[in-house]
Amino acid sequence: MKLSLQGVVPVPLREKVTAGKSGMWNTSVSFNKGEYVFIQAPSGTGKTTLIHILYGLRKDYTGDVKWQDRSLTATDNETLAGLRTKNISVIFQDMRLFPELTAWENIDIKRRLTNTVTESEANAWLDRLGLQEKKNSIGKTLSYGEQQRVAIVRALMQPFEWLLMDEPFSHLDHANTQKAISLILEVVKKHNAGMILADLDENNFFPYTQTVIL
Amino acid sequence: MSDNTQKNMLRKLLMRTQHKSRLWAALLALCIGTTLLLLSVMIWWNFRELLYGKSQNDTLGSTFLIIGKRVTEQNMGVANATVFQQTDIDSLKLAPQVQDVGIIGANHFPVYAIMGGKLPLATDLPLESVPDKFIDNMPADWKWEPGSRSLPIIVSSQFLDIYNYVFAPSQGLPQLSENSVKSIALNLKVGEGDKSEVFLAHVVGFSDRIGSVLAPQSFIDYGNKMYGKPGAATAPSQLILKAKDPSDTKFTDYLQRRDYATNSQNLRWSKIRAIVEVVTSATGILALLLMGIGTLVFILFIELTIAHAQHSLTLLLQVGYSPHYLSRFMIKRFLPLVFGTVIVSMVITIVSQIMASMLVKSQGLVLPLVPGWPVWAALVVSTGILGLLVTKSISGAIKKQ
Repeated sequence: MKLSLQGVVPVPLREKVTAGKSGMWNTSVSFNKGEYVFIQAPSGTGKTTLIHILYGLRKDYTGDVKWQDRSLTATDNETLAGLRTKNISVIFQDMRLFPELTAWENIDIKRRLTNTVTESEANAWLDRLGLQEKKNSIGKTLSYGEQQRVAIVRALMQPFEWLLMDEPFSHLDHANTQKAISLILEVVKKHNAGMILADLDENNFFPYTQTVIL
Repeated sequence: MSDNTQKNMLRKLLMRTQHKSRLWAALLALCIGTTLLLLSVMIWWNFRELLYGKSQNDTLGSTFLIIGKRVTEQNMGVANATVFQQTDIDSLKLAPQVQDVGIIGANHFPVYAIMGGKLPLATDLPLESVPDKFIDNMPADWKWEPGSRSLPIIVSSQFLDIYNYVFAPSQGLPQLSENSVKSIALNLKVGEGDKSEVFLAHVVGFSDRIGSVLAPQSFIDYGNKMYGKPGAATAPSQLILKAKDPSDTKFTDYLQRRDYATNSQNLRWSKIRAIVEVVTSATGILALLLMGIGTLVFILFIELTIAHAQHSLTLLLQVGYSPHYLSRFMIKRFLPLVFGTVIVSMVITIVSQIMASMLVKSQGLVLPLVPGWPVWAALVVSTGILGLLVTKSISGAIKKQ
């Protein structure tokens, strides 16, 4: 599934962008399935906004975003739900876990929606990121680092063609970041999918094929 | 198992509420409203069944009544003021609910009855005649031909009742059964002085419909011709009507407008019916109001629950749950509550119907043990509307997220 952006300018960033073209804003750019895209940008330049636009959470922008030939602005919520369970997955910067569910339930509620990852596989991934002991802890009691790792495993609980990541390792130490990237790359390769990573700085472990500077 | 785990998680996220009392209040109002609605439809239908149903409620379903023009201070003594003209009869035939009109003929000649033996009774006796098709319990020997000395007569059942329960005890006379009355003959002197004849009359039947003494039409015609007073009115002063529904207000209004008097016995049901209609209508309106309030509170409760779970709903939509899936989940949680209240209302209605049936049975009336089809129709329609409103409110509230 090809991703293309045409003259996209988020309404809150309109004034900044009109001063001159910058990165992916107000230009035409497209990415093919299987590409690993690194979007580097300092804080406040719209990384999260971009990920939210690509995931269909925000519609306050001009221009057009197309997944294959489908324009996101013209996509209804039912179709978006289909895209979010079959084609696009996301790791939010703010994790967005259910605070009242346990770590395992946060993963399981997504796993049971698509039924593409077995329970033992999910457990193994949780184990790889060092979360077995926290499996039954309530979401709101987890540390940011633990929440981030749960959010990573949850994002892998579905089939996808693109994985969107918004500063996914911001709360992880060096070792855990390495483990997380290793798991992500393994699953991404299994699905023959593409990735878009939005982060502040270049990451030594992320083997990107294209860099865009916002 | 797998499905249940997912549902349990969704329930934990979406069905949190701290206002259970509001839910119970809404369900109670819904239940009372639905019950009242079903009961008002049930009462209305039962009353219809008692009046016009095919069961054996003859006393209520009476469709024959006798009418006459009301005698007032204005028309007292005015010739032909209280007789029916042909135009009146033609108009009556076209009146609402009227199926047939019969003329009640009356004797315009003197008739004097003398009973001999142990019952020394003698009295002037007015005779009437009606077309045969208006006679209830038609006797086999109901005919008379000129020259015959024997005259069959039909007596109102009320006469026998008055005799047995009022007259006989007060006079120390024996009470009489219908058969013993039929075996008694009485002399009927027709005419006056030299111009008179005596007939041997015998009671051949009793009528619940006619409140006087009936003789065959041929005898009344013969008597009027032979012994009638010259210049006596030939137009009838009373008519017998066969009415499909004598309690129909259109029919009673028709009679009232023309100032026709009738025996109130037959029309009392129109008053009761009007009262029942007012009561059932008022109950129905109250029921609809209660149902409306109950539905409103219930829908508000649903919206409150959804608003309470707004954060979880948004997250669920973001992780890929579709609005349709979540709506269906919520609908499956709330609709059974609606159906539960409807079932409770239906059970109350069925029990009430059984009790009503048993109650009227002791009065010699018949009502079915199961509520009539309008009750079921009201149940289906109200449940459908409730279900639709609940479904729409849930879908609408989730779409707003």
